Amino acid sequence: MKILLIIPAYNEEANILNTYNTIMEYNKKNKTNYDAIVINDGSIDNTKEILKKNKIPHINLINNLGIGGAVQTGYKYAFENDYDVAVQYDGDGQHDVRYVKDLVANLEKGYDMVIGSRFIEEKSDFKSTKMRRVGINIISFFIKLFTGKKIYDTTSGFRACNRNLIEKFSISYPTEYPEPISTVEALKMNYKVSEVAVEMNERQAGKSSIHSWKNIYYMINVILSILVVGTRRYK
Amino acid sequence: MSFNLRLGIIIVSIVLFLIIFVILKKEKIPVKYSLVWFFSSLLILLVGLIPNLLSSFSKMLGFITMSNMVIGIFIFILLLITVSLTVIVSSQKKKITLLIQEISLLKEKVNKNDK
Repeated sequence: MKILLIIPAYNEEANILNTYNTIMEYNKKNKTNYDAIVINDGSIDNTKEILKKNKIPHINLINNLGIGGAVQTGYKYAFENDYDVAVQYDGDGQHDVRYVKDLVANLEKGYDMVIGSRFIEEKSDFKSTKMRRVGINIISFFIKLFTGKKIYDTTSGFRACNRNLIEKFSISYPTEYPEPISTVEALKMNYKVSEVAVEMNERQAGKSSIHSWKNIYYMINVILSILVVGTRRYK
Repeated sequence: MSFNLRLGIIIVSIVLFLIIFVILKKEKIPVKYSLVWFFSSLLILLVGLIPNLLSSFSKMLGFITMSNMVIGIFIFILLLITVSLTVIVSSQKKKITLLIQEISLLKEKVNKNDK
């Protein structure tokens, strides 16, 4: 089975080499064979040079697209190169490569998308801030309302998809608020989605892309998007 | 309506028409986007030529003063134009995203083959 880790990176010069090396060391120790591709989303720091110097497989986007457009590029790459499984994996060291096997195991049970979740078991010490958890719960409520499925960690960017969804996402992937919205789309199109408990770390360096003053604006947009996608009809 | 005002309205409509025509001639906008502006210049011209047109129309619609109706209608038209521009910009954003992705994937492929 060919497995690809899609690692979107925007100005991750401080983390990206470490993230990649961790995956490769894990491969060596556990005799796994995860491939990784870094999607450099038009970084304006030294990310590009670091990727080149260390011979990390990567695609340089010629302009900044934002997380959704970057991740979709990864899905296109996965589709073209015949990968069976694509795993979205943050470049900032938040995600733990040891849990990739749990995500993949659940795909093999017949699910199309498996989300690495911080909230279904009390595994992880890092749960993110209180405000953010409130937001995640509200989004979770609306997803349940429109799709009938309870998703606990709605904004988790740690997720694995099988070939069916790789193909779907390579053709169309939400560019705005991709984590919750892609989940809603997949559910509306009757793909099977499940969650698996994972641990996440705090960011190792640099700044997260979500700022607190944008939170309310973010919530309004996400809820509206869920409403729109939720009332859409897919064949 | 005074003669001076009517003359002004007629001149404005002709100037608008000419501006759109020149822009169109220089191929800065396609014909389909120019139509709405030609249509508005024609409307302005009609108002200047037939002064009773506006007042009887606004009475019919129940506006207290004619100027309210004129401003109201124009705001509505501008709103429609803005919405359609938003649609155009969004579809272009999608196309640009696709272009960036495909070019970047291609570049990576070309670089790999060179090595």
